[in-house]
Amino acid sequence: MSDVTGGRALLALDQITMRFGGVVAIDGLDLEVRQGEIFALIGPNGAGKTTVFNLVTGVYQPTAGRVAFDGRKINGMKRFSVTKRGIARTFQNIRLFHNMSALENVLVGADAHHRTGFIGAGLGLPWHRREEREGRALARELLDFVGIGHRTEEWAKNLPYGDQRRLEIARALATKPKLLLLDEPAAGMNPAEKRSLQQLIRRICDAGTTVLLIEHDMGLVMEISDRVAVLDFGQKIAEGRPAEVQNNPAVIEAYLGAPADAS
Amino acid sequence: MSHSKNTTGIGPVRAAMRKITTPFDEMRDWWGRAPGWVRWTVYGLVIVAALLAPSDSVGAFMSPESDWATILFYPIGVFVLLAIGLNVVVGQAGLLDLGFVAFFAIGGYVMAVIGTELGWNFWEIIVVAVLISSLSGIILGAPTLRLRGDYLAIVTLGFGEIVRLVAQNTDAIGGPRGINSIPHPPDMSDIEIIPDLQPFTYGVIDPRPYYYLLVALCVLVIIFARRLEKSRVGRAWAAIREDEDAAEIMGVPTFRFKLLAFAIGAAIGGATGTVFAAKMISIVPNNFPFILSATILAAVVLGGSGNLPGVILGAFLVGWLPERFRGFEDYRVLLFGGVLVLMMIVRPQGLLPSRQRSAEFAEGSGMGGMGAEVATPTAKAEVSSR
Ligand SMILES: Nc1ncnc2c1ncn2[C@@H]1O[C@H](COP(=O)(O)OP(=O)(O)OP(=O)(O)O)[C@@H](O)[C@H]1O
Ligand SMILES: [Mg+2]
Repeated sequence: MSDVTGGRALLALDQITMRFGGVVAIDGLDLEVRQGEIFALIGPNGAGKTTVFNLVTGVYQPTAGRVAFDGRKINGMKRFSVTKRGIARTFQNIRLFHNMSALENVLVGADAHHRTGFIGAGLGLPWHRREEREGRALARELLDFVGIGHRTEEWAKNLPYGDQRRLEIARALATKPKLLLLDEPAAGMNPAEKRSLQQLIRRICDAGTTVLLIEHDMGLVMEISDRVAVLDFGQKIAEGRPAEVQNNPAVIEAYLGAPADAS
Repeated sequence: MSHSKNTTGIGPVRAAMRKITTPFDEMRDWWGRAPGWVRWTVYGLVIVAALLAPSDSVGAFMSPESDWATILFYPIGVFVLLAIGLNVVVGQAGLLDLGFVAFFAIGGYVMAVIGTELGWNFWEIIVVAVLISSLSGIILGAPTLRLRGDYLAIVTLGFGEIVRLVAQNTDAIGGPRGINSIPHPPDMSDIEIIPDLQPFTYGVIDPRPYYYLLVALCVLVIIFARRLEKSRVGRAWAAIREDEDAAEIMGVPTFRFKLLAFAIGAAIGGATGTVFAAKMISIVPNNFPFILSATILAAVVLGGSGNLPGVILGAFLVGWLPERFRGFEDYRVLLFGGVLVLMMIVRPQGLLPSRQRSAEFAEGSGMGGMGAEVATPTAKAEVSSR
């Protein structure tokens, strides 16, 4: 079931184990996400999907194993350095900067690659002004791209739920990631919103960003992803094309054991 | 969170307070929308007012009992500059610093020691003092800024006391008697603008040239701080206040930015100390007590931490009111305490808070008004321990 897209490996988890006290959240996981694909990570509640994201973004350090990105080991790196290397994410529970405008939220992401220090900023030096200008242009462009270009000045917390999820995506894209991690981006969306989200993810991928997606909505997962991996109790129980995985007996059993609501 | 619920007893006070403070909020929002030329006009008027302030006619009302120009330098001017510095730490970065006076003291002692021992002039020393105090800010911050809110508060409190006690117990810098005959800044010009006022001649009697020096420093520091606030630096600080973990994951080196806030605050505190020492001729360790840190913090919080006009207003009031009501003798301190407590009950966000800080306050997130880092109400389960 390998070589569906044939691209080179962008992200590789090698025998990753993550223990929290007695709980083994991730158990000897191997995972490979290839350049240019949309890869979905699915599994019942508590399977360890979000933990994988936290391991990849440096929030947790694995108990054992190695995470490599673009051919280099990234576990042990600081979280902001991981972001700079090209991994960005959204959160299952939205974590925007609520009392900042949509534009400012995205600018924080764009600042990840800005270089002026406090002297340039405090004295208002020319290259700082240029960077600010470019950052703002990029932020506006991204807000348009995700479809909330008309709400730049609104505070994040005043945006409707679906737009908050879009804003999180824009903020993540502003860090110019090679790999974008989306943690249940469709949660709480109605069917129409889900359709436009699906198109958005497609466009992100077409623009050259590889996507690793956690999602409970099977319809969306099956339509959009190039490959799917299924986690259960921290172990990978299946991997392959959506259609292959869908009919895998082990997967069906895992879901029947702990049925995921397709909300 | 619960500020608005328990209204019994203080309900009427709160209602009255709201009447008083609503215009403040409206003013702030108007200011936020005001076009450029209006702002520049207002800036210009404020500077003119500051320059005209030390006149006898103003003093007759503001301070009938003591010399107004002297009070304008200390406490008012010094408090304002210190509060602007502390606001970078507390208001911008959201770090609770209870020992800010330490940097004021370090600046003062650098001026005193180098001025008397090496005979350098004020302008050379202020550069050194700024460097040394920001370096001490970094030395204090590096091991402590990884700690969360309350620990940081305790460590900074201790630092403030340690600096004072070291000064007290080091004979080389005068011990409890401090340092005398600190040189004044060199005269820049003996020009006489109006009869009896030579604003660039630094002597023993006239406090006004020193006051003008503070005003000039304030203007420079305010410009610098405002620019920082609107840049990536200010955004990083705001993001750290809102959600430190999310900020770090979005690429903000949170530790470095907190350290930067500490260093900048310390530099401003140090510069203030230099001017203070150069005016006072002699300084003693007891010029730098804990209560001064607390007072400046009160000024920042009272005025509206995070919002420069608010902070300046707060520092002005905290410096001026006790002097204005000297007649009440000991009661004035009690009264001052009472006003502070009342303010914290009815308007915890301060007189002129920034919109963002008021909102953080209303939802009990961020650091609230005090800069103490309290847990955000959103579930931290998703991204928790580091
Ligand atoms: N910081 C932590 N401390 C202790 N246990 C944790 C921690 N983070 C995750 N876990 C545990 O690891 C397991 C996997 O959790 P995780 O959040 O990764 O699941 P998930 O697949 O994302 O589930 P969901 O679909 O509900 O989001 C759970 O049993 C959870 O309780
Ligand atoms: Mg999850």
